[in-house]
Amino acid sequence: MTRTPLALAAVAALALAGGALAPPGGAPRPAPPRHDAPPSPGGNVVVALCDGETTAEIPGVREGETPTPAQARDVAARLMAAWRAEHPDVAWDDGTGRTATGDASAGRLAQAEPRTQRQRGGAAGSAGAGGLPSGEQGELQRGHTYKAFSERDEQIWKLETEKFVREGHRVFHDAKAVGGTIGVSCDMCHPDAANTHPETYPKFQVQIGRVALLRDMINWCIQNPSRGKPLPEDDPRLKAMEAYILAQRQGTPIDYGKH
Amino acid sequence: MRPKPPRSVETRHYEERDALFAGLRRMSRRSFFRLAGLSAGLAMAKGLVTPHAFQLVEVAGAQEDGTARKPFTFAYISDTHLYPRTLNDRFVRAIVKAVDDVNNLDPQPAFVLMGGDLAQLGKREELELGRDILKGVKAPVRMMVGEHDWFFDMGEHWKALFGPEQYSFDHEGVHFVTVMSVQEKDFWTARGLTPEERMQIVAGLDNGIQSRFEVGEAGREWLKNDLADVPKTTPIVVFSHSPLYRYYRPWNFWTEDADEVQAILQPFERVTVIHGHTHQLLSNRIGNIDFHGMLSTAWPWPYAPEGLPKLTIQQNRADPFSQFDGCGDGTVDVLENGLVNTLYNLWDRNPVTVRASYLASGGTRDAPPRARFPSY
Amino acid sequence: MRCRRVPIVLCVAVAGTAPAAPPEKLPLGVSRGLWALSVPEGAVTPERVALGEKLFNDTRLSLNDAVACATCHDPKLAFTDHKPRSEGVGGKEHRTQRNSPTVVNAMFNATQFWDGRAPSLEEQAKLPITNPIEMGMKSLDDVVAKVRAIPEYREPFRNAFGRAPTIDDVVTAIAAFERTQFSGDAPFDRFLAGDGEAIDASAKRGWALFNGRGRCNTCHAFGAVSPLFSDQRFHNIGIAAHETDFIALARRATGIVRSGDLKQIDELAIESELTELGRFLVTKHSNDIGAFKTPTLRNVAATAPYMHDGSLATLWDVMDHYNKGGIPNPNLDGGMQRLGLTEAEIDDMVAFMASLTSPQFATLAQTEMRKQRARKHVRPERDTAAAMGKKGDLGDIAPPPDPANPAPFGVIVTHETAYAPQAAPKR
Repeated sequence: MTRTPLALAAVAALALAGGALAPPGGAPRPAPPRHDAPPSPGGNVVVALCDGETTAEIPGVREGETPTPAQARDVAARLMAAWRAEHPDVAWDDGTGRTATGDASAGRLAQAEPRTQRQRGGAAGSAGAGGLPSGEQGELQRGHTYKAFSERDEQIWKLETEKFVREGHRVFHDAKAVGGTIGVSCDMCHPDAANTHPETYPKFQVQIGRVALLRDMINWCIQNPSRGKPLPEDDPRLKAMEAYILAQRQGTPIDYGKH
Repeated sequence: MRPKPPRSVETRHYEERDALFAGLRRMSRRSFFRLAGLSAGLAMAKGLVTPHAFQLVEVAGAQEDGTARKPFTFAYISDTHLYPRTLNDRFVRAIVKAVDDVNNLDPQPAFVLMGGDLAQLGKREELELGRDILKGVKAPVRMMVGEHDWFFDMGEHWKALFGPEQYSFDHEGVHFVTVMSVQEKDFWTARGLTPEERMQIVAGLDNGIQSRFEVGEAGREWLKNDLADVPKTTPIVVFSHSPLYRYYRPWNFWTEDADEVQAILQPFERVTVIHGHTHQLLSNRIGNIDFHGMLSTAWPWPYAPEGLPKLTIQQNRADPFSQFDGCGDGTVDVLENGLVNTLYNLWDRNPVTVRASYLASGGTRDAPPRARFPSY
Repeated sequence: MRCRRVPIVLCVAVAGTAPAAPPEKLPLGVSRGLWALSVPEGAVTPERVALGEKLFNDTRLSLNDAVACATCHDPKLAFTDHKPRSEGVGGKEHRTQRNSPTVVNAMFNATQFWDGRAPSLEEQAKLPITNPIEMGMKSLDDVVAKVRAIPEYREPFRNAFGRAPTIDDVVTAIAAFERTQFSGDAPFDRFLAGDGEAIDASAKRGWALFNGRGRCNTCHAFGAVSPLFSDQRFHNIGIAAHETDFIALARRATGIVRSGDLKQIDELAIESELTELGRFLVTKHSNDIGAFKTPTLRNVAATAPYMHDGSLATLWDVMDHYNKGGIPNPNLDGGMQRLGLTEAEIDDMVAFMASLTSPQFATLAQTEMRKQRARKHVRPERDTAAAMGKKGDLGDIAPPPDPANPAPFGVIVTHETAYAPQAAPKR
C-alpha cells in the first residue's frame, strides 16, 4: 500500500518534468523495471526518477500526503538537476533550444523554422510595474479589459505572432518573394538575420545618407543588393520581414544610433 | 570637335576581354580557343600585363620582414556562386574581376586554387560558365569542389568537367592534398526530395535541415592512404571546402568528423588547411595545424554569433552599397619552412596578411590590423 | 524670395563687437549644426574678415606680384577660374596639375584640397603661397617679411590681432574671410523648405534619380544637418585612369613620398604626374590610389570644368562618366557601376544639379549652362553600350525610381534645421 503514493508521485513528477508517459492502448508491453527508492531518514516521501537511480525527497510531506503543486515542481526540478549532473555529456533538449551541455546549436538542428517566442516560465509571467509574479501571492485584479484575458488567449496570440514571423522568414529566404531579380535573397548576407542589428535603429544610415528606420534599410537592401523594387510602406511582406528580424534579436537591449 | 582622349590601358584590356565573351556566346570550342588565344596574345604583346595593386603590400612586407626567400606563391579565387548569366550578371562581374587580378600578378603564381562553390545551384550551365571564365586564367588552375557544386547531381557533372574530387600533388617539396569535406549523410531520400529541392536546402545556410558536413569514412580512409608514405617532416597543405574544425554548427561552418581528420594530420610537423565556404577572413590554429579561410568573390558572410576562433581578427563589416565590399581574392605565400602567409586581397579595402608567425605565436606577434566595425 | 547676401561685417557691427556665433539669419540650406562643427570659437571677427578679404585679393603675396588667391579663386567666377587646370606664376608652360575648387562653402569641408592634405582653411592657405608654380614665394618667412613691408597692412593687423603680422595671422585672416563665403537659398533649398514650385518637374525627377538609380546620394550625401552634397571621403571614380598606368606610379611613389612632409606632398600633387595618385600621396594606403575627395555639388553649374584635373567640361560629360561606371582600373571604388540612365534621365539630373545654384551665382550659372547646352551633342565621354549593359560586366541596375517618392529611404527632417521655413510655405 505504501508503494502506490510513491509510484503516483513519481509519475506526477515525470509529467511535470515534461517526460513522456506510456502510450495509451497498443500491444502489451513488458513490465517496467521496478525502482526501489531508499526510505528517507526524516520520514519524508521519496520520489524516484524513471532512470531507476535518481531519487529526491520532499521535505515536510509524509507518505500518503499529497504535495502542493509548488512542491511537486520543485522536486521535479531537483530530480532533473541531479540527473543532468550525473550525465553532463548528454544532449538533452528541454524545448528552449538550449541543450544540457549549453550548446544552443544542437537543439535547433531539427528546425527549419525561425526562432520564435522562447518558452517563458509560466504563462502569467511577471506583470508590469510591480514585478510581483501575479499568479502566486495575493489576489488578482479583475476587470473586462486586460485582466479578462486568459491563458488560452495568450496561446492564440502567440500562434498568430509566430505565424507572422514565419511568413517573414519565408520572404527573407526567397529572392523572388521579395521581388529580387538577380537571385540574391536576404539570408545570403544575413543568415538567421545575423548582422541586421534592428536594435540600433533609428540611426544615421551611411548608405542612405540620412536617418533611417529598420524598414528603410530593408527596402534599400531590396533595391540594391537584391535589385528589386522597394516595397510600399504598408506592404505586408515588409512588415513580416521586420517582424522576423526583430524576433531573431529577442532579448537584445535597444541601442539606437549605434554604428 | 574635341579629339577623343586616348583610351586607358585598362579600357583597352576590358574591351579585349569583352570580345572574348562575345565570342563565348557563339560557343564553338574551336572559335573559343582562337579568341582566347588572340586576347591573351594581344595582352602580352602590348605589355598590358601590369602588376596589381595588392602586390605593393607584398613588396613592402618582404622588406619589412627581412624574410629571405619565399619559395613560391599560389593565388586563390573562391566561392564564386555563379548563376546562369541571364539571371545574374553581378557574380560574373566579380569572378571576372578576380581573374583579372590574378592574371595581373607579377610574377605569376605557381598555380591558382579555385576554392569551391563555383556554381550556385550546381546546374550544368553554371558549372560550364565557371569553367569557361576560368579558362582565361593564365596560371594552371587547381579545382576544389564545394557543396553548391555537388548536391544537385551528387557531383556527376563536376567530376566530368574537373576530374576527381580528391587528389594530391607535390610542389617544391610541399605535399598538397585536396579533400572532399562537404559530404553529407542522406537527408533527402526519407523526405522524398527532388534534386532541385535537395540543392535548394543545401544552398541555404541557416535552415538546419541538411546534415552537417563531413569528410566521411571513405574520405578519411583515402586521406590516410594518401599520407601513408609522406614523411612526417614534409610540410602538408590541405585544400578543403569546409573548415575541418568546428566553428558554428547551425550554419554548417563545421566539419562533423573534424577530430578524426585532425588526428590523421596531427603526426605531421607542419600542416596548413586552406578552406573556403565561410566567405570571411578567418584564422585558427589547433595543435600544429594552421587554418586559413579564403574570401568569396560573390558575397561576404557575417561572423557567427559564437564559436569564432580566438585568433581570428574580424574584417570590417561589409557595405552593401558596393557589390565588392567584403569580397575578394588573394594569394598564399608558402614559406621556406612550408608554413604559409595568406594575403586577403579585400576589394575596395587595404589588403590584410595573416602570417604563420602570428598563428604560431598564439596571436602575440605580427597581428593583422583590427576591424573598426566588426559584425555583431 | 531672393535673399541678399548681407556682409557679415554689417550684421555683427550692429549686434556688438563679440566674436561671431553663426549669424542670426542663415540662408536656407546652410546648416547651423554644421557651422558649429566647422567654425572654431572666435575665429571670425569683423576686423579679421576685412583684412582677410584684402589679403585674398592681394597679388603682392606672390613672387612676381601678379598672382593672388583671387587669381585662381576669382570672386566673379564663383571663386574658381573656369580653367581645367590653374595657372599661377608658372604661367601656361608650368600649369598646375589640379583644378581649383571653389571657396564657396569650403569652410564646411572636413579637410581642404582634392586630396585632403590640409586639415583646415588656415593650413590650406599656407600651401599655394609657397608653392613654386602657384604663388612662388620661397618661404613663409618671405611672405611675412613682404607683408610687414607694406605700410597699409600695419593698422589692419594691429586691429585684428594686436601685433605685427605673423604667418599664422595672415592665414587666420584669410580663413576668416573665407568663412563668410557660404551660400544657400538655391531653388532646391526652397523646394525642400516647402515651395513645391521652386524647381521644375525635370529637376524633381532628377532628385528622385539622385536618390535612386543614379546612386549619387551615398557619396554626394545630402541631409538637413549636412546639406553639402559631399561625404567628405575619398573615392577613386576612375578619372585619374584616363591615361595613367597606376601601378607603376604607385610603386615609384612609395619610395619618393615621405609621409607627413606636407610641403613635399603639396609639390608632388601640384607639379608632378604623381598628382593622379590623389589621396595615396597623403596616406600611402594602396586602397587610396587615385582617390579624390567628393566635392560639394552646390553651385556646380557655375564652377565648370569638373573633376580634380578639370577634364570633364560639362555636366553632361560628368553624367556620361558615371553612366558607364567610371573608368575601370584596379582601384575603382566599389560603389561605381554602370547606371543605365537614358538621355532624358541624364537631362533631368543635370536640371537637378543646376537647381543647386545660389542666387548670387545665378547669372554666372545661366551663362555657363547655356554654353554647356550648346555643346550637348558633343559627348566624348559617352559610352551607351557600356551604360546599358550591352558590353562588359559593369554591374546590374536598380529599378526606376518612383518620382512621387523622390527620397524613398530615410527621412529628411526639415523641422528646426537648415530648412525650417522662414515664411509660410507656398504650394
